[in-house]
This record gives sequence, C-alpha cells and structure tokens, in this order.
Amino acid sequence: MTERMLEVHALARHFSVRGGILPRRRPVLRAVDGVSFEVGRGQTFGLVGESGCGKSTLGRSILRLLEPTRGRVVLDGAEITGLDSAALKRQRKDMQMIFQDPFASLSPRRTVRQMLQEPLALHVPGSPARRVARVRELLDIVGLGQSALDRYPHEFSGGQRQRIGIARALAVEPKLVVADEPVSALDVSVQSQVLNLLADLQTEFGLSFVFISHDLAVVQHISHFIGVMYLGKLVETAPVDRIYAMPAHPYTRALLDAVPVAGGTRRIRRRALDGEPPSPLNPPGGCPFHTRCPEAMPICSRRVPRTIELEEHGRSHQVRCHLHDPDISQ
Amino acid sequence: MSNNDALLEVENLCVEFGDRRGAVRAVDRISFEVEPGRTLGIVGESGCGKSTTSLAIMGLLPRPAGRITAGAIRLSGTELAGLPENRMRRIRGAEMSMIFQEPMTALNPVYTIGAQMSAVVRRHAGLSRRAARRRALEMLERVGIPLAQRRLAEYPHELSGGMRQRVMIAMALSCRPRLLIADEPTTALDVTTQAQVLEQIKALQRDFDTAVVLITHDLGVVAETCDEVVVMYCGRMVERAPVEALFSAPRHRYTEGLIQAIPKIRTRRLTRLPVVPGSVPDLSELPPGCCFAARCAHADTHCLRRQPALERMGPSRVACFHPADAEPVR
Amino acid sequence: MSLPVHDINPGADARLQPVRRPGGISPWSRAFDRLIGDRPAMAGLAIVTVFFVIALGVWFGWWGGKWAETGDGQWLPPSPEHWLGTTILGQDIFARAIFSTRTAFEIGLVVAAASTLLGALFGALSGYFAHTAIDGLVLWLKGVLDSIPFYLFVAAIAFALDGNPWAMHIAMIATFWTTTARLVRGEVIKLKSLEFVEAARAIGLHPLVILFRHIVPNTLHILLVQATIVFVAAIKSEVILSFLGLGVQDGVSWGLMIAESTSEVIAGHYMNFIAASGFLFALVMGFNLFADGLQDALDPKRSGR
Repeated sequence: MTERMLEVHALARHFSVRGGILPRRRPVLRAVDGVSFEVGRGQTFGLVGESGCGKSTLGRSILRLLEPTRGRVVLDGAEITGLDSAALKRQRKDMQMIFQDPFASLSPRRTVRQMLQEPLALHVPGSPARRVARVRELLDIVGLGQSALDRYPHEFSGGQRQRIGIARALAVEPKLVVADEPVSALDVSVQSQVLNLLADLQTEFGLSFVFISHDLAVVQHISHFIGVMYLGKLVETAPVDRIYAMPAHPYTRALLDAVPVAGGTRRIRRRALDGEPPSPLNPPGGCPFHTRCPEAMPICSRRVPRTIELEEHGRSHQVRCHLHDPDISQ
Repeated sequence: MSNNDALLEVENLCVEFGDRRGAVRAVDRISFEVEPGRTLGIVGESGCGKSTTSLAIMGLLPRPAGRITAGAIRLSGTELAGLPENRMRRIRGAEMSMIFQEPMTALNPVYTIGAQMSAVVRRHAGLSRRAARRRALEMLERVGIPLAQRRLAEYPHELSGGMRQRVMIAMALSCRPRLLIADEPTTALDVTTQAQVLEQIKALQRDFDTAVVLITHDLGVVAETCDEVVVMYCGRMVERAPVEALFSAPRHRYTEGLIQAIPKIRTRRLTRLPVVPGSVPDLSELPPGCCFAARCAHADTHCLRRQPALERMGPSRVACFHPADAEPVR
Repeated sequence: MSLPVHDINPGADARLQPVRRPGGISPWSRAFDRLIGDRPAMAGLAIVTVFFVIALGVWFGWWGGKWAETGDGQWLPPSPEHWLGTTILGQDIFARAIFSTRTAFEIGLVVAAASTLLGALFGALSGYFAHTAIDGLVLWLKGVLDSIPFYLFVAAIAFALDGNPWAMHIAMIATFWTTTARLVRGEVIKLKSLEFVEAARAIGLHPLVILFRHIVPNTLHILLVQATIVFVAAIKSEVILSFLGLGVQDGVSWGLMIAESTSEVIAGHYMNFIAASGFLFALVMGFNLFADGLQDALDPKRSGR
C-alpha cells in the first residue's frame, strides 16, 4: 500500500431528530455509523451509495464541516478530530471540498477573482500581486481563460462553474479533496471533461480524493479504491478492478446490475432490487440489507455481520456479509 | 411522411420563446411519429428542447412566452396545435397524460393519494365514486405499491420518492390514455428504484398498448426502454434512428460523441475518458451552419456556413454533412 | 424542465469561444437594466426625484423659506401671488407644503436608513445563529416590540423623552426594524444551507466574515425594497402622529397642515387640507410605483441562474 494520506477510524455522525409535540425520547438518526477506511497519497477513494445512505454526511464529517459524533480522522499523520477551532482553521489549508451544485456553490455576488483570492488571503502569505498571479495560474490549471477573472458566476455554464469550484478548492494546495457528486449536476458531454480534469490534477499535484457519487459508472475511472455504503455503514471496500469484476456483497451486485447499459446487450432482464432502502431512523436489525437482499439467510435478520477480509495479493477487500463468513456459510 | 398506424404524429414542429428583446427558437422543425405500444425516446442535454417538445404536445407551454410557430401535432388524426384550451383539457388526462421528473411537485400535498387518483378517473372516465376508488386501488396494485389500500388514505409526503413516482404513473395511466409522455421520470430516483420504475412503465405499456414518449438525458435508459430515438441538439433534430441502429452505428457526430462520453462501467478501467469538447451554445446566438460544428472534429467550412438537412442513411435519418461510416455527402 | 434561455454565457471553455464583453456583468447591473425598462417604476422614480429636488431646494434655501411668514390676508383663495392661498395667519400654503417636503424626506430617510440597518444586523445575526441564545434574544425583542400598540408606544417614548423632537423617529425605528429583521432572518437561514456558505466554511473563514461578506450581500434586494417601504410608512405615520400632536414638534409638516385644517374644513376652507394630502398622495404613489418595480427587478427568481 502506498503512503497513507487519510485514515478514518470508526467515524460516526448521529443526528437527533426534532419533531413531535410531546417531549418524548428523541429518535436518533445514525447517518454515519462506524465507518473506517484509508486513502493513499495521490489516490482516490470512491464512495458509492444511494441517496440517504450517509455518504455526503461522511464526506462533511471527515472535513469537520459537520462535527463527528465519534471516531477519529487522521490526515497525513495529524489528527483532525479534537482540534480546537484555531488549529482546525489552519488545518483547513490541507483539506478542501468540491460541491455538487455548480449553481449553489459559488457566491452569486462575488467575482471569480474575489472568490479565488479569499482562501489565499487567509492561508498563503504573500503580496497582493503574487496572489493575483496565483489566481491567474489557477484559472489556467482548470482550463478557464484569463477573461474569467472579473466575471460573476451567473455568466458561466454549469461545467465552467464547476471548474471555478475546483480552482477554489485547489487554491491553497490541499493534500486531500472531498468531492461530493461533482459531476452529477452536469450535462453528459461535460461530465467526462470534468472527470478528466480531476484525474489530471491528481497526477500533477499528487492529490488524494474522496470522491462521492451515487453512480458506479462515474467513480470507476477515477477511483483506486471503492467503498459501498448502505444505511450509514460501509458494506464493501475493495480495489476498483476487484469490485467491478468480483463484487462480493449482494448490495454491490444489485447496484452494478441496476446501472443501465447504453448500447451493448439490450434489455437483458436485470435482477431489479425490490423495494427501497429502509428509513435510517429505524434500520432493520441484523444486517441492514437483509430486507432487500435476494440471498438473505435466517441469520441475516438476527446477527450483524462482521467485517470479512477477502485479501488477495496483499490488497485489502473487505465485505460485511454473512455469505462470506467462513464460520456461518458452511 | 404520413403514417396511418401512428398514434402521435409531430410534423415540422417549431416552438419559440419570446420576450421584449426577441425570440429564441427552442424547438426547430422536429418530426416524428409514435405507434401504439411503442416507445420513442427523445434524448439531449439541458436546453436542447426535449422538454419543450413534450410540453408543446401536451399544450402546456408556459404562456404567453412560449408558442408553437409552425408545424402540426396530430393525436390519432386530431390536430392539437391551436386547439382551444377547453378541448385540450378534455384530451389531457383522458387520451394522453404526462409524468414529470419531480413527483412531489406534481402531487397536491393537501389531498390524499386516493382523493387525487379518484378525481382524475371520475372526471375523465366518468366513473362513480366507488368505481373510481376501485380503479385507483387497482392501479396502485398494478404499479407494485405494497399495502395499496392503506396508501390511498396517505398524503404525498408520507411516500418515498420512488413510491411517489409510481403513484404518478398509476394516476397517469388510470384513464388508460393512448399516449404517455414521461419527462425524465427516473432522473430524481436512485438506480435501484429507477430500474423498478422503468420495468413498471414497460409492463403497463404492454397491458394497455400505450404509446410512450420518453424524454431523458440518459442514453442508458434509452437503450433499455425505447424502440426509436430522436437525438436533439440546440432545438434541432440531429438524428432519428431505431434504437439498435443508434447504438451500433451512430451516424451523427454528436450522437457518436455522446455515446462514447457517457460514464459507463467498462471492462477495463480507463485513465482518460473520451470527451465531447466544449459545451452547448446559447440558443440566442446559434451559428448559421450546423449547431454542433464548433465542437465537432470533422467540421469543415461547409459545416460552419450551411445547415445540414435530415437525410436517410440506412434505417437512420441524420442531419450531418460528415456522418460516421459514410462517404462524404455532396 | 429545460427552458431555453438558461445561461447568459454557456459558451464552451472560455478559451474556445470569444468573450463577448470585457468586464463582468454584476447581478446589480442586470437588475438595473430591468428597472430601466419598467415604465411605471421609472414614472415613480421621476415623481420621487421631483420631490427630492424640492426637498433639496428647501435645504439650500432656494425656496420655501417663507413658510412661517405671516401676511395680512387670512384664508385668501389661490392667486398668482399665493398659488394655493393662505392660512388663517396669512401664511402661504404652497410654501408650507414645499417646506413640509423637506420634513417628510428627513423623517423618511432617517427612519428608513436606521431601521434597515438595525433590521439587517439583527436579522442576519438571528438567522445565522438560528435556534441559539442570540436568535432567542432577537426574537423575544421583536415579539415584545411588535405587541405594543404603535401609537401608544410613540406616546410613551415622547413622554419618556420629555418632548424631545426625535421621539417620533426613535419610536418608528424601534418598531419598523422588526419586519426587515424577520425577512432577512428567513433569507439568511435559506442562504446558510447553500453550498457556497459551506465552501466558505471549508476555507476556514470566521463565521462573522461568512455572514457579512458572503450571506448579507445576497439579502440586499430585500433590504433595498424594505427601505423604500419603510420610507413610505414613515412619512404616512408622521402625518397621523403629527395630527395627534405626537409628531413634528417644530417646523411644519403635512401632518401638521392636516391637523390645522380640521377646524377649517367645517368653515369651508379646504386649501390646507388639499395641499397637504395632495403632496402626500403624489409622493407615496411615486414611491410605491418605484418600490414595486424595484422588487421585480431585484427578484432573484427573475435573474436567471
């Protein structure tokens, strides 16, 4: 394994839900419930799952945009969780975020120059002239012309805005970037442009990415490792080539089956998964997936599956499923 | 051009949106037919005019800005363009209905599912209160909603996104319309739910012999559900082809690029994805020639000056001077 | 739904397409363009401008200076000498109406500026720190102020300040900021959840910097419209307060003129009343037309994405 850039240990983020007129016991929503994984330097961890599975909450908890309820986050050897606000502010230089909605993620009344200078002014000492030079360099890096400098967000298309968002994230030369669905709001023909840009930037600057997406097809080409999330838990993590070729968890298989295939063999009967994810407020006992799992066994509703290591050639492939538990399946 | 079997015929449809500063042509000479029991897909990126086309067919263009400036829309021989609103109202819901991308906004939050469904049936099919209720229940069961009887008494916010979209489908098909227009019906849904909903539309279509016009940006969805496809770009029809031909031998350079560029799961992981360079031009300043020329690797000066007409190529029709796998036209 | 006109410039990469305009088009200049094209709003602005010039003239002493001068003829009818006739003391009604314009603008501007500032500050703080003690305090204050009957409140303040001429201003500012604060609070809560605010947090900006640099500028459309509404409300309230004797203490105002006219109208002398209410009507009308246009022009829903 390459050098570790990010370590996430048993991270959890719970929300207590407001509601009800009577002050009864407040239900707790376990949006992220004990998630652990690592990302190597210059590598991408693709985080996949359906809406409401907690992937965005996880991304924000890693950056402490949301305070984690439990667990540890270690960035390049330095623990992020537990930093006081002044230290956290300094640490923000190393970790940045790219957002989903290119229309909501840029301040509508600020020019590109103002937006890109802001992080520099805060984190990078230097003269104003040097800052402007850096802003120009950033525009060049993300493939926008210098004419973009004094323009406002509404003057750009979705793809261009996403490039501005990427430039803002890169301004302070972070080590880690969490990208939350960065291409899902873009037109198809623009999506791959942005994906290629992110891949190029990774090679050029040795960035580590946590790339969040609902779409297995999008993460395949940019990720080195993939984690599949279901109801706040990682159910499978594996190297990218393994997970597409040999998915171990029934949920991963169902997700892969559900992706529509353009061209190729048409109208193959897919094993469409029944139903929808249960409410995270009231997750089923045992394995959270057993209510929809085509291969569920009696034990699945009773016991929470432990993490099984299906190591191959020294590369970690973990799955939380009784099917792979040697103590249970045989 | 006229096809006696066709249920819906759209001929040289032009739609313009105007304000004080001038008009833009959002839909420019679109023609297609759909036969009963068949599915026509209209694909394209945002702003290509696909949704406008569907609104024009339904007679739901936003007034007074949008208007049909030329062409014909015939539903089993009846001309719909220019039909007075009171007659359109009778046709909508009874003979053709529409489902939208966001089912939450299409359902009235203050009425129960049952009340809304019965109202539609009673108005268009003239059923009694009790018969309407029975029809509503039957339709909910047909679209695979568990505990349908209980759902009738529930309000839209009590259902999940996938359930709401099923209710919309049930409602749209409750009067057995001969034409269903589905505008991005699965875009707001997760992949696993999307697969179920598409399956459901197909099953109902088989049962009722409904003609379906499916508007989508997702070529994967097109490949799995459509019989024929219209590809739109900047309000124009650039290619129209049977679905097999579209994917096995795309003719227009835009179609070709789009098929290559969609993120899809591949057997080999690519480091760089194929792209369509640039982005969609503004409708208010379209070039005089082919609207795709600026992004096309095959464009020459001819393409920049003249608009290609739609020409037959095997089973496909394509508007391109340099279509794929062909001797140059001219 | 993909309606056609979507982006001002969805051109390809800026590199691939020639840039149309050299500088950036700010959201303000787009709103300004819309406002210019709005005829009723422009008519309203013209009326307001005329009144403003009148008020300026009074400040500079070009006209209206003789509002207090008494003459020999009481209750004279309109004549070339006294355009709108005279009062019981032989004062020129036209001069008094002109001078009152200055009074109206003074009250309107002071109250609008101060209550908008207060409303923005309190609204922004309580919105950004919603459901905290700060928010609770602001909401409590707002609730208390809103529940006191306005005229009683003015009377109380006037009494407490012992006839201070600013009592009316203070009372109006103290009550008018609450609506602005409520609107700003709602908008800030909405904006706070947007990704650009999260992006600012991810950069490490201080919460107050985020609030006043990134969020509040996006509520300016509310503040501007509210300021015009408060302006109108202030000069209308002045009339009633002055009529009740709680308003303008020295000088003259439309309210005082109307108060004077109560006894006169019975005697058949209408000019005081007509002049004051005519001026008031024209200015309020002009301002309302302008405010409507302003609201439309600044509406973020209309500015495209």
